[in-house]
Amino acid sequence: MSKDRYSRQRLFAPIGSSGQVLIGQKHVLILGVGALGTSCAEQLARAGIGKLTLIDRDYVEWSNLQRQQLYSENDASDRLPKVIAAKERLGQINGEVTIEAYVQDAGRETLESLVEEVDVMIDATDNFEARLLMNDISQKYNVPWVYGACVSSHGVSYTILPGENACLRCLLDSVPMGGATCDTVGVISPAVQMVTAHQVADVLKILVGDQQAIHGKFVTFDLWNHRYSSISVKNVKKRDCPSCGNDPTYPSLSMETQTKTAVLCGRDTVQIRPGQMGDRDFEELKERLVDGEVKENPFLLSYDQGAHRLVFFKDGRVLVHGTKDVTEAKSIYQRIVGG
Amino acid sequence: MNQVLFFAELREKTGVYKVDVELTGFSVNQVKEWVAKDYSMPKVQDAMVAINEEFALNETIIENGDVIAFIPPVSGG
Repeated sequence: MSKDRYSRQRLFAPIGSSGQVLIGQKHVLILGVGALGTSCAEQLARAGIGKLTLIDRDYVEWSNLQRQQLYSENDASDRLPKVIAAKERLGQINGEVTIEAYVQDAGRETLESLVEEVDVMIDATDNFEARLLMNDISQKYNVPWVYGACVSSHGVSYTILPGENACLRCLLDSVPMGGATCDTVGVISPAVQMVTAHQVADVLKILVGDQQAIHGKFVTFDLWNHRYSSISVKNVKKRDCPSCGNDPTYPSLSMETQTKTAVLCGRDTVQIRPGQMGDRDFEELKERLVDGEVKENPFLLSYDQGAHRLVFFKDGRVLVHGTKDVTEAKSIYQRIVGG
Repeated sequence: MNQVLFFAELREKTGVYKVDVELTGFSVNQVKEWVAKDYSMPKVQDAMVAINEEFALNETIIENGDVIAFIPPVSGG
């Protein structure tokens, strides 16, 4: 390795040589490797992070390439799982970083089994169910996490330090349902980059132990209309909060809120999780798939039926493309698999 | 007199960014109800409300000169 590799980062006084050593020893978990996740992962790999754990349930599609910076046209053609494509690209960027890739939904069990070795978690998901799960894990295991989200030209970022500032559940009276999504109003890449700039800056502060530099405010911006606000959270930390209050119950952990079906952000797609997860037998499955075109790679099997396309993952999940209707998706799925 | 600001998608839905209106003495919850009705936006109940760049609870009472911002939850990523 060239000694110059991190010289510009070491010259930055708040990091310095000692901070660079710390960064190289740390482990960051990134939940979701879409737009936010690819951007955060690339910045941290270039910064010389010790280890990255990437979790994502999805595969690369053409509509991702406009903003999901680790992916190529080949990845979209091959429908590679995002974490596999991301790991490959990150390995080319910095071969010294250890990368663990998980092609799966981030359920409670997965996160609980991983979190104790992790220094910070980054939210790069697209739904509040996953965020509230991270929020509870963060409080229970005392691991900071950084909320980030964007849509259109807007973005938000908020760093949650357990025991210090208000948690996400304090901020949300109820779990928001719906709202603007990437499929209704789209998103531009600069909004993504602005969110991850805030996320990664705070992650670096945590990793080098400069927690005083973390302002602890909720950042919101609109790049197209040039509006920026930092909002204080000090009035909304709730003593009776079920996640961070005096007597926490961690609702997202105990309820095991794993929905069997979820409408995915950004596309006309429903995800189905079978009751029992596990290795799906593609050979057995192919015998049932007789009215359409089947394409396969080592990670997934895609079945094009005309109006709908089904993508089967090894872990048991199925994506039904071409519908937002959960019932219709279930029925298509059950016709093929349950019958 | 007070100022109400709509952020992100709420700005697009209401068609305005800034409204001058007298809200002194009302609670945040009452202001939410007013916005939901006047702008036909039931989703505003999910929004976070900040007063003078500090998040406020539903029962907080608006004072003269307060600037009230409605910030919708953002989920994309």
